[in-house]
Amino acid sequence: MLAFLVRRILAVIPVMAVVGLFVFSLLSLAPGDPAALIAGDQASPADIERIRASLGLDRSFLVRFGEWAWRILHGDLGTSIFTNLPVTTMIGQRVQPTVSLMLVTLIFAVLVAVPLGVVAAWKAGRLVDRLVMGAAVLGFSVPVFVVGYLLAYVFALELGWLPAQGYTPIEQGIGPWLANLVLPALTLGLVYIALIARVTRATMLDVLQQDYVRTARAKGVAQGGVLFVHALKNAAVPIVTVIGIGIALLIGGAVVTETVFAIPGLGRLTVDAILRRDYPVIQGVVLLFSFTYVLVNLAIDLLYTLIDPRIRY
Amino acid sequence: MDRRTFLKGSAALGAAGLAPHLAAPALAQPAKVLRFVPQANLANFDPIWGTQYVVRNAAALVWDMLYGVDAQLKPQRQMVESEEVSADGLTWTFRLRPGLKFHDGEPVLPKDVVASLTRWMARDPMGLMIRAIQAELSPVDDRSFRWQLKKPFPKLLLALGKNNAPCAFIMPERIARTDPFTQITEYVGSGPMKFARSEWVPGARAVFEKFSDYMPRDEPSSWLAGGKRMLLDRVEWVIMPDPATASAALQNGEVDWWENPIPDLVPLLRKNSNINVDIADPLGNIGAFRMNHLHPPFDNPKVRQAVLMGMNQEDYMRALIGDDDKLWKPLPGFFTPGTPLYSEAGGQKIGKGDIAAAKKLLAEAGYKGEPVVCVVAQDQPITKNMGDVTADLLKQMGMKVDFVATDWGTVGTRRASKAPPSQGGWNMFHTWHAGADCINPAVYPAIRANGDKAWFGWPDLPPVEAGITEWFDAADPAAEKAAIDKVNAAAVAGGVYVPTGYFLGYQAWRKNVTGVGKGPLPFTWGVSKA
Repeated sequence: MLAFLVRRILAVIPVMAVVGLFVFSLLSLAPGDPAALIAGDQASPADIERIRASLGLDRSFLVRFGEWAWRILHGDLGTSIFTNLPVTTMIGQRVQPTVSLMLVTLIFAVLVAVPLGVVAAWKAGRLVDRLVMGAAVLGFSVPVFVVGYLLAYVFALELGWLPAQGYTPIEQGIGPWLANLVLPALTLGLVYIALIARVTRATMLDVLQQDYVRTARAKGVAQGGVLFVHALKNAAVPIVTVIGIGIALLIGGAVVTETVFAIPGLGRLTVDAILRRDYPVIQGVVLLFSFTYVLVNLAIDLLYTLIDPRIRY
Repeated sequence: MDRRTFLKGSAALGAAGLAPHLAAPALAQPAKVLRFVPQANLANFDPIWGTQYVVRNAAALVWDMLYGVDAQLKPQRQMVESEEVSADGLTWTFRLRPGLKFHDGEPVLPKDVVASLTRWMARDPMGLMIRAIQAELSPVDDRSFRWQLKKPFPKLLLALGKNNAPCAFIMPERIARTDPFTQITEYVGSGPMKFARSEWVPGARAVFEKFSDYMPRDEPSSWLAGGKRMLLDRVEWVIMPDPATASAALQNGEVDWWENPIPDLVPLLRKNSNINVDIADPLGNIGAFRMNHLHPPFDNPKVRQAVLMGMNQEDYMRALIGDDDKLWKPLPGFFTPGTPLYSEAGGQKIGKGDIAAAKKLLAEAGYKGEPVVCVVAQDQPITKNMGDVTADLLKQMGMKVDFVATDWGTVGTRRASKAPPSQGGWNMFHTWHAGADCINPAVYPAIRANGDKAWFGWPDLPPVEAGITEWFDAADPAAEKAAIDKVNAAAVAGGVYVPTGYFLGYQAWRKNVTGVGKGPLPFTWGVSKA
């Protein structure tokens, strides 16, 4: 197990190196020039060139990549071309809203989706099953921004129960923090619920046909015990896998949700940086996202061994 | 626990946690805090290095100017107490108002002014003109400085007080010594508000706090001139990229003032009895697309003329504004309607949508079917909407269109390329100009037609430049107007660019906010909140 862990952690290094090279190359090939955006409409070509030089953008790809990689190795993500702030500071300002949104969404989605999937499998083919699966298809099909605007309209504008936008740091209290996250988490959670519920149902259907479930029932175990203790535990591996994959979906969905609810998170930072060609920020955020995803995958692999003792590395 | 008890308990728990915060947005805001949704993100904060309007607007709170234009477009004294100009017009001596202080408590001294103007001159088109004829700029004593020129420059005060970016903001010498092509890192000014740097989250919020030592002038405020009296303790800029979200926040009372609501949402805002909606900037905007004069087919003046005759300004304005006829009007020229130099000279034929005449002219021009590379930023709705109309226009005229829909960052880079369109260059791009930047040639780079030195498209039209030179040398308003008539007519004849119409925009604010005025930027002085 320890050897596996070390192997996986070491594997992160080449993965991140390839990601870094890919992102850096991609940005170098992409059209658009931050200097032109900075210089504004009244600037002459000479002004733009001077700004490019002051930003170091006039140097060759290899020199810039070498310097960037060297800085990364020393834990320095560089400085934003536009704000002149360290990329780590900018990311630091945006981490809490995004992590909060993802966390609340994840908890909400798992708490709703897993029981729904279990119940749908239990009542397979009946009205409850059809309703749950119909809702899942709907949740997966309706675009995030449509759900977001609809929820904001009903709960913020019409009922006045919740704020329509913004983010309150958790340091200012759980209540205000949660009040700002309810609508975005609901918005983002619908897709996630649909995904997890469908996988849970499919896996449970398979498990419920197994001999040990029949045995448990024959021994008089209550329905709840059969479903949530015997069956769900054995169906957990695919469900955990899809939750992990879903985190990547959450990252993508957060970009839209953060825009709709004006949450100052990493998603909005990424979009702003891309539109402005703020290369150091884009590179920093992509590296962070990639690293997070690699870690999530590692955590899921480790979880497998806890859930199912038959799995050994 | 049975199912019903569980559900009741969960609901009660959730309600208990959230109840104190329900409807929180409409409550509990300190009385003198104004929450403002600006037109764009304040991504950087150096008004000389970055010339975006949003930077200029924020900078006007933090940095004061020697002069400021008023609502009559006249430069008025602001930090300056008095000025003297020698009989030959070559030596200007300025005296600062007493008691001016920077936000760090240091007095404003002539050395600060000299350093600030020196940095500004390196980046501003008018500043560059002054720099070219400058003999010396130096402090005289603790409150005075002198500017010696090699040649008279009658528009000097306008240059110092104009509101188009980069404005001549005054910074402490240590900051102003920063290379004009490098961003400053300290945001210390002498304006009516201090920038709360520690609360700045680019892309999310920017905060300004009242500067208690600011001494407003005695005159009533008028745009950038007069007494900038701050009646608010704090102004919080909340960045909202999504218009629907900004609309909801304004209706919900989560923000107080939205700088630029999109026309589609204005009817909704008007229905809300707590919200005022009115024109934001009386000087409005001029829609535009530019043709590249360097390459076929628009290197041929007849082809440019054909486009001017074929295009219909109403089509463009409907695409931008919709059915609100109060927001637009045709523009048979290049200067801002309602301002002293507005001219229609020579513009009678443009924008009428005469496709038949355009086709005829195109045939006479010998158009050979070259594809027109039309570059459009689809992340800027104004340019995207205009681009769609242009593509249709060119097709109707029988031209071949290569429509490149991309983002503003790419357009900004591509339009600077002089390469042939087939090698990464362009034939046409869309933009718009703030009306405040089109009131005279000194603040209006887009009207210049001096070839290589001209704005993107690089028109080389000596009659336009001759008119502009006449305007700079004009001794009185009548001579200025005569010169501008020549400029307008020559710009139409040569097709410097294509004006697609004149349009206005709205702003919206909650009714407990008073003192919101109209102007080329959102002036916060004089604004109060109940």
